[in-house]
Amino acid sequence: MSIFLQQVVNTLFQGSIYALFALGYTLVFGVLDILNLAHSAVFMWGAFMALLLVTKLGLNIVLAFVLAMIGSGLLGILLDRVAFAPLRKRGASNLAPLISSIAMAIIFQSAALGLFGGLVYRFPPGTAPSADIGAGGVHVDVLQVIIFAVAVVLMVALQLLLQRTRLGKSIRAVAENQKAARLLGIHVERVIAITFCISSALGGAAGVLVGLSLNAIAPDMGQAIELKGLAVIIIGGMGSIPGAVIAGFLLAATEVFTISFISSTVRDAIAFGLLFLVLLIWPSGILGRRALREA
Amino acid sequence: MRFSRFLAPLTTLAVLGLAACGGGAAPASSAPASPTAASPAAAASKPAAAASASAKPAASGAASAKPAASGAAGAKTANIGAAFSLTGPGSPYGPVQKNAVLLAQDDLNKAGGVTLNIDVQDDASAKEQGINVFQSFIKGNDVAIMGPTLSGLALATDPLAQDAKTPVLGVSNTAGGITTIGDYIFRDSLAEEQVVPAMVKAVVDKYNPKKVAIMYANDQPFAKSGADAVKKEMDDRKIQVTDTETFASNDKDFSAQLTKIKGTNPDAIFISALADAGANIVAQARKLGIPDSVHIIGGNGMNSPQIAKIAGPAAEGIIVGAAWIDSSPNPQSQAFVKAYKAKYNLDPDQFAAQAYAGVQILSDALKRANLSGDTAKDRTALRDALAQTKNVDTVLGKFSFTSGRDADHPPVVQVIKDGKFVLFS
Amino acid sequence: MGALFSFYNAYDQLLLFVAINALLALSIYATLSAGMLSLANGAFMGIGAYTSALLTLRQHWPFPASLLAGCLVAGAIGFLLGLPVLRLRGVFLAIATLGFGEVMRIAALNWDVTGGPLGLPAIPAYTQLWEVVLALAALSYYFVRLRHSRAGHALLAIREDESAARTMGINTFYYKNFAFVAGALIAGLAGGFSAHQTHSIEPANFTFSLAVTILIYAIVGGTGAFWGPMLGSTLLTVLPETLRFLKDYRGVFDGLVLLAIILFLPNGLMSLFQWRPGRAAGKVRSAAPSLDAVEA
Repeated sequence: MSIFLQQVVNTLFQGSIYALFALGYTLVFGVLDILNLAHSAVFMWGAFMALLLVTKLGLNIVLAFVLAMIGSGLLGILLDRVAFAPLRKRGASNLAPLISSIAMAIIFQSAALGLFGGLVYRFPPGTAPSADIGAGGVHVDVLQVIIFAVAVVLMVALQLLLQRTRLGKSIRAVAENQKAARLLGIHVERVIAITFCISSALGGAAGVLVGLSLNAIAPDMGQAIELKGLAVIIIGGMGSIPGAVIAGFLLAATEVFTISFISSTVRDAIAFGLLFLVLLIWPSGILGRRALREA
Repeated sequence: MRFSRFLAPLTTLAVLGLAACGGGAAPASSAPASPTAASPAAAASKPAAAASASAKPAASGAASAKPAASGAAGAKTANIGAAFSLTGPGSPYGPVQKNAVLLAQDDLNKAGGVTLNIDVQDDASAKEQGINVFQSFIKGNDVAIMGPTLSGLALATDPLAQDAKTPVLGVSNTAGGITTIGDYIFRDSLAEEQVVPAMVKAVVDKYNPKKVAIMYANDQPFAKSGADAVKKEMDDRKIQVTDTETFASNDKDFSAQLTKIKGTNPDAIFISALADAGANIVAQARKLGIPDSVHIIGGNGMNSPQIAKIAGPAAEGIIVGAAWIDSSPNPQSQAFVKAYKAKYNLDPDQFAAQAYAGVQILSDALKRANLSGDTAKDRTALRDALAQTKNVDTVLGKFSFTSGRDADHPPVVQVIKDGKFVLFS
Repeated sequence: MGALFSFYNAYDQLLLFVAINALLALSIYATLSAGMLSLANGAFMGIGAYTSALLTLRQHWPFPASLLAGCLVAGAIGFLLGLPVLRLRGVFLAIATLGFGEVMRIAALNWDVTGGPLGLPAIPAYTQLWEVVLALAALSYYFVRLRHSRAGHALLAIREDESAARTMGINTFYYKNFAFVAGALIAGLAGGFSAHQTHSIEPANFTFSLAVTILIYAIVGGTGAFWGPMLGSTLLTVLPETLRFLKDYRGVFDGLVLLAIILFLPNGLMSLFQWRPGRAAGKVRSAAPSLDAVEA
């Protein structure tokens, strides 16, 4: 029984990470209909920003976390200005921003590689609290609980922002119909920039949390989670925040229980198999609303 | 419009021409490294990793940059090519090997004998580039090639050298099927199959486990070889394997697999992975409550000072079977450790030691090979001399090749005590 | 003549890479020219490579036979994959093909027959440059003829506006499948050639990263005509040597180049060759389909 419970703990923890990461993806897709493949690079840079703040400036982790989120948000705005806004002006199709995001991802990642090399970095010991607060044979590290809580808070905050605030309304309006939003007086370009800012801030936050919990920060750390993130947003429905959250936990659960009951060798295949199935049978995902077949 | 149809082939030819004049064998690395590589990004999974390969002028009439092994009276020079993964997934190891090889070159050239001229090039952990680098060495007048770093790459590059009758000395290839490529392929790195039996014997003799679990990186050839070797040992010794779990090389979270393993109550866990993953596995295992009495044992890949740094106190008691221990009493090894640390301000690891030894082995063979200056003849002479290597003093101890051209020296079994590797007993 | 021969001698591996990458470029052209963004080409190359290598190694088939078999198996799997997947639009097609590629790779990683992570070593090196060049020539001819054929017009119409094409009575499903399978066949052929050049293949050679790389060939070269992606592939296969001084930062340069192309020269380098005097600079309005029409 304790093994089962332990796996549930593992699922909750892993799921919160997947969900947090996927939120950024789905937000941008929902609003702009583009897949921002530079998200994983921002995720990685968020982690490195926090690392540098802690190791070079000696800041405590909470402050570093917040600053890293802000820094990532700024990266997001940069992304938009450099790689996406010019394409919107030109009226390009969706392939162009996809490629553009790939280009930016390459730049971001190579910059990190050049600056930090291929090594794995870690936060200095004692950066984050670490103590086993489990019971009954189930082991839970207090850090995992903190990360889970932070992720949930961020998810709830995002949902509240979108549903209850003026800004959120503007974002949803732009997502619905850019032209109409502009006619209604919404400053569309600014809203889009803010969307990227939020999305990247969330991505950076996920990066810091992952870097802390797994005690490993490296330029390639975004790659493993990127494909999982794609699976999450497909399964949850592109553009749906709650969908991304549910799908994040669902994917984690599937993976953990595949390992428990089938075999760890097929873990990733199951994730992608699920992705595939969802795309074919239920393309809008769990909570998605977008048209996925040609009109 | 019709004219534009001819432009493509013309442009292609022009570009090729520019490349040729631009100098030298190019790495055929395709486009920019995509950051969106697959998650289990195993060795050489980025075929387009940043290229920085050889720009040596090849045999297209351009002046050769290196003097051929001169037969002039007095100093003889041997040109050796070394292909290491300085970028890409193999990049934690390539630079270390490069450091060691250049250190060895300095040391040995000071000591006299055949002067070594080692040219280190980057294979970018990618097949295409590795092949191009090897070809540039073969077409140049390198009398031997060292490397490549990754076993998977070796399977693609070594056949080229075998066909061209150029000896290759692998210094970090530990998977199966490499030396069987042909009689010009050698390696000084102990294969997993060679290390595992000694490691298992040591553990069984001391702790007598009745049940074990195995965990390995299923996208690394050497890791699978290691896990298979362990499984075979367990079968031979009739020890039950309660569970076998796998993971991908750049996974960082192993809690699901470890939780499952914990549920099967093994007496020991064998891990076949590189140091980074191994350390994380150990740290997480202890966090999940797997007691210290469950010993954790690793193979070649985990022989790195990084493990203790990464896993901290959880690293205590890890048993690692390997080719070299940094506290080895061998005087050459001690001198090497000191010199490496002094020059590069880093602790050397097994990759460095094997690379350094590789140069020593080549140097010894070159002395015996009687170089004439004719590249083709010299390569064959060197190959024959290598095959007769017997009890050469190296940082790995007394070194010989087996009849299969694999490394023949006893592995060491070590354990981490107080954050450092000591001999296991 | 002697110089040419020694050039070939020194560079034969590189030339083979150029030729095989050109084949891959054609394989993505096949799908992009129908307006489909497929990221499965890496997987199809892998299928072709593994199939032909296994037949050569285990069943001792002669090279042309195993090459053909690899090509056809890739095409068959492409057909089967296309049936459910081609209903998806744009980016969803891309993700589905990506997922397919990953599943294939993981399958190869865990299956004894394919050799697991070690893959298939000791493949005899049968591929000759003239064979690949012949394939390229034949395919080039095919694409030229296709462009002006009925099928070619149908594909162009689908690329520009799929709904309109369907309304006009074009059987979009048939043509899209046709283009998809063509892409798979060509990638499979490239895989077979590659396996018999590099002596060994492993799952790590056929990742999603490879598919993205091939896509980048097409973007950099331009997708207006079949030779655009080939231009991109050749340049990107050969160019890296001059940039080796950048070391790890070379990726930054690559990314900047890609960004510059997509921002300023969206129809790729080939659009430089299609500039006609009198037109506004940068706005090429030739009959060549533009990148911006491809749905994603």
